[in-house]
Amino acid sequence: MFYREAGQFKTSYRADMTVFPITQDRIGIIVILLIAFIVIPLTSSNFMLHAVMIPFLIFSLATIGLNILTGYTGLLSLGTGAFMGVGAYACYKLSTLFPGVHILVWVVASGFVSAAVGIVFGLPSLRIKGFYLAVATLAAQFFLQWCFIRIPWLVNYNVSNAIEVPRRTLFGVHITGPEATPQARYWVVLTIVVVMTWLASNLVRGRIGRMWMAVRDMDIAAELMGIRLLNTKLLAFAVSSFYCGVAGAMLVFLYYGSAEATAFSINQSFAVLSMVIVGGLGSLLGSFMGAALIFTLPILLPQLMAGLGLPIQSATAEHITFMIVGALIIFFLIVEPHGLARLWQIAKQKLRVWPYPY
Amino acid sequence: MRAPDESTIKAGQTLLSVEGVSLSFGGVRAITDVSFDILKGEIRAIIGPNGAGKTSMLNVINGFYHPQEGEITFKGIKRKKMRPHDAATGGIARTFQNVALFKGMTTLDNIMAGRTLRMKKNIFWQLLRFGPAEREEIEHRHKVEEIIDFLEIQHIRRVPVGRLPYGLQKRVELGRALAMEPELLLLDEPMAGMNLEEKEDMCRYVIDVNNHYGTTIALIEHDMGVVMDLANRVVVLDYGQKIADGTPDEVKANQAVIDAYLGVAH
Repeated sequence: MFYREAGQFKTSYRADMTVFPITQDRIGIIVILLIAFIVIPLTSSNFMLHAVMIPFLIFSLATIGLNILTGYTGLLSLGTGAFMGVGAYACYKLSTLFPGVHILVWVVASGFVSAAVGIVFGLPSLRIKGFYLAVATLAAQFFLQWCFIRIPWLVNYNVSNAIEVPRRTLFGVHITGPEATPQARYWVVLTIVVVMTWLASNLVRGRIGRMWMAVRDMDIAAELMGIRLLNTKLLAFAVSSFYCGVAGAMLVFLYYGSAEATAFSINQSFAVLSMVIVGGLGSLLGSFMGAALIFTLPILLPQLMAGLGLPIQSATAEHITFMIVGALIIFFLIVEPHGLARLWQIAKQKLRVWPYPY
Repeated sequence: MRAPDESTIKAGQTLLSVEGVSLSFGGVRAITDVSFDILKGEIRAIIGPNGAGKTSMLNVINGFYHPQEGEITFKGIKRKKMRPHDAATGGIARTFQNVALFKGMTTLDNIMAGRTLRMKKNIFWQLLRFGPAEREEIEHRHKVEEIIDFLEIQHIRRVPVGRLPYGLQKRVELGRALAMEPELLLLDEPMAGMNLEEKEDMCRYVIDVNNHYGTTIALIEHDMGVVMDLANRVVVLDYGQKIADGTPDEVKANQAVIDAYLGVAH
């Protein structure tokens, strides 16, 4: 009833091209941002911030990364975990080689290393498609993970063979290392994720986004229109890996605190892929929804069951989560390939005309 | 859209010619020693029975297939084969026999995608969007809206093209090709599967594009009524060989053409 666009007229193409053409949506996003930046860090418990919000945001960013590749450009990748790992290890190497430069510079810069690696492993995509490409990226996953384990130079010859995050500060506040509070880390993660989401939305709405989608939907027509397939696909690999790399760096530096190669195993790739599928292929909003659903499920499920008077072991909860996620993926693949994002769109459309559907 | 006289080639001069083109796939000869030319500003039809090599010919012209023999001269530049990118930048656009739209994108995005080659702002401006990239986007949006008005598809601007009926999809595809502001427009059966009314509409658009923008058009079509009315000159292919070339009236009277279409008594 309150969600009406009547009386809102667009008089310029600029107004027509904005992300949120409806005033209510604009107000909505401002409210969400205010809650995310101010209300949540001030009111939530440390557990909520550390164990739910921070990883949720980081995985959302990784999901956006994979969505750019799989959802927008139509290239299936199973190497997400490895590309996240490249970001994490690159960030560790860079920050220990040049400790004078600020850590956040390295978090972002490690994305470029990941992008370069992504381009190399994206080269086969010109010739192979679909499942065959997925297998090619699987090679990236295993090869890179092997590198993480077998090349001690990557972890500065640590005995533990793990990344140990150095203590770093921003404006005198610890943001990495054991002294960093969840609030401080949350703000850093949130800022990076919001900015990068905004950049991604700019990209996918413009010329480059259309080139990606053109290649996804009909590569022959795209080629005959003068779109260079290889460049477009490699750009998608680069941008996608950039996002995954930054997410991986944040995962280790702002969440785990230390990490071994197993943190970037094939399971991570599948987790992010299932977030993309459940959230919605080719939707930024869906990336957040998918990450929210799949990530918070194992955390919320035991609490929900306990609330129902059926306390379950955390191992059981994990197993149930696997089953639910599996069922959800099958459900979405069959019923709604555009995922939660499309369901949200349909709900909004219904809301627009409610309560008089004609 | 482009001013009609922007090109270096004047109306009536040869815009494109193919000479002695032969194309084979393994042992199958799709085209054998075909030569013809397309003059600037004309509507040129390519006709022939099924499997005559018409679509292959279009694919050769815009570089999707590379012929084993022969030469293609486009805007005075002679080459052994076209490359898709060169053809597109040179001003060749096309539509497809089986609609090849970007199904997940809206009508607007499909036609905007047609302007990709003319948009220059790099990825860093695209990331920011404010300023140059947005101005460029708006500037091209004006052109695209002009095409949308021209083809009378305003009402489906925001609809993903996968959901549109066939006739409208064909029209959007024409729009996407027009967005490239081509000098040479290749239409592969633009009226296939349409009812009479849709055909009439499409004919009107083809003639309008030709008159209004001065675009040279090469079209493949099976409806002889349409071909005879629209085309200035017709080339007829049969089993990959050229059997006739001339005005519609000449072609209609040609015994080889009649035989190809009706069969010969043995």
